[in-house]
Amino acid sequence: MLAWRANLPAGAMERFLLKRAIVLVVTLTLVSFLAFLVPWLGDADPARAIIRSRVADLALDSAAVEALRIRLGLDQPLLHQFFAWLGRVFQGDLGLSFTSRLPVADQILRAIGVSATLALSALFLALAIALPVGTLAAVHQGRRFDGIVTFIAQGFVSIPEYWLAPVLVLLFAVELGWLPSAGWSGFETLILPAAVLCLRPLAYFSQVMRASMIDVLHANYILAARSRGLGLAGALVRHGLRNGIQPVLTVFALWLAGLLGGSVVVEVIFAIPGMGRLIYSAVINNDMPMLQGSIICIVGLAIIINTAADVLYGVLNPTVTVSGDAR
Amino acid sequence: MTMAARSVRWVMRQHWTFIAGLFSGTVVVLLLVAAPVISLHDPIAQDLSMRLQGPGGDHWLGNDQLGRDLWARLLYGGRFSVVVAALTLFLSVTIGTLIGAWCGRIGGAVDEFVMRVVDVLISFPEIIVALFLIAIIGPGFGTLVLALTLVGWTPFARLARGIALDISSRDYIAAAEVLGCTRTFILLRHVIPNALRPISAMTFLRFGHKLITVGALSYLGLGVQPPDSDWGAMLADARQFAVRQPLLVFAPGIAIMVTALSVTLMGQGLEIDADRSRRLRTGQS
Repeated sequence: MLAWRANLPAGAMERFLLKRAIVLVVTLTLVSFLAFLVPWLGDADPARAIIRSRVADLALDSAAVEALRIRLGLDQPLLHQFFAWLGRVFQGDLGLSFTSRLPVADQILRAIGVSATLALSALFLALAIALPVGTLAAVHQGRRFDGIVTFIAQGFVSIPEYWLAPVLVLLFAVELGWLPSAGWSGFETLILPAAVLCLRPLAYFSQVMRASMIDVLHANYILAARSRGLGLAGALVRHGLRNGIQPVLTVFALWLAGLLGGSVVVEVIFAIPGMGRLIYSAVINNDMPMLQGSIICIVGLAIIINTAADVLYGVLNPTVTVSGDAR
Repeated sequence: MTMAARSVRWVMRQHWTFIAGLFSGTVVVLLLVAAPVISLHDPIAQDLSMRLQGPGGDHWLGNDQLGRDLWARLLYGGRFSVVVAALTLFLSVTIGTLIGAWCGRIGGAVDEFVMRVVDVLISFPEIIVALFLIAIIGPGFGTLVLALTLVGWTPFARLARGIALDISSRDYIAAAEVLGCTRTFILLRHVIPNALRPISAMTFLRFGHKLITVGALSYLGLGVQPPDSDWGAMLADARQFAVRQPLLVFAPGIAIMVTALSVTLMGQGLEIDADRSRRLRTGQS
């Protein structure tokens, strides 16, 4: 397909893509089986848990439990139940939430959108700062500016979000009154959470960008461009950036996958209706269908994003990834 | 030369960031270990007449919303998170290094399978794994350690595998194989010792994140359980009182930051050292 470009053996690219596709399907099936098992791993019997979440009465009517067990097919063999459940999942039916009695799938879909907006704002903010800062640090490698950038990056990584968020709220919402302290109702409510969330990726992006640009600076094509009379800045912008940015994009994909559910603390503090807060309240309320649904979505998305990044990287750098893989 | 003198000389040869981190990290550890000696008060003894008092008298940092001594709570509160983070890292490093080095040496389908597992787990936020496990088996010390180790071993496995692959192509490994050394012997005698420097750098660099994650779960009420407390739980308690007594918010936050930063600085120093020794060995400039 694309193999001619990199002088790869015939079919190498196809084999690479096929292998990734197989791994994708296998891992997704494994993950959904694990998610399916969740209610069985705890001490609670699912039928009992459902009835208990609906009825406050502690003494359970065993006839009602038995009836529900038969109605839900819980008396069938486990594998049989798994495939029935998987069939429903493929139709987008993740069941009803124990607490809100609403379809899990709708709630997750809405929450994913919110989390994606938050994550992408934070990550693009981080990227916008990290690219120039990382490049400058690479140019000044080993000098004072470089040292300061590295130190600040390590400082950022050491700040807990659950400390920074309340402090920023105290400053910008309570004292100055410039921004809302919590909620999710437009651009203004996005600023503080995105600022808190961007620090850690900012630190990583700038360090990855720095390391990658140091390699680029020593590359022959930069020397060639400069010997043709281009200034350092011109050579970097016209030839260096395109190569230097690639490792950062890989890290970007990893962070995106991680932040879709991983911004629990920020979402809880700022009362943002995203995936993190959804999972948190599902844990607090022991809401099993919600947990199953979130596991499938979060892990599934992480795997898909990772595979996409991997394949994209393989297509952009066929000699590195694909030929190494075909070994 | 005695052992002590040799260690001092080894430390003095390291990068300044390592020495700075080692110094402040040691101070923090000593404070946490010697908590019963240093603090004059019981961290859970309440005295409502002293509610939200500022620093002064024998309450060095003042009192919290229940009149408990803040300095004592700070010292005892560090113990939980630091122990969980350190124990988790110890388990992650041991498991990850062994699995990674072993996969790198044997290769084949097992290696391929394990590395795909690593690919999936490595991008997975630790806090989510912890939340799921808490939902299934309930909160507690064991749950935290298990949850953080479950994903924590992956970066070490990837690093150790890379080093093992690199070393496997060397002549002295071929020589050892010809001499009839077993696979386990080569792993323990050649691969692991070579991986020690970069692995220990990564261990220190990962500590801060673990510490913050443990604090985050405690902040959400799913980590440390009352009557025990830690810095994250203290921050959660202090939130409503931030305006009246800002120190309640600043003290635990700064404690987490100083601890995380010291260990990170040590990690960075070790990483510089690992790079330097690799360049010396491979003869690159």
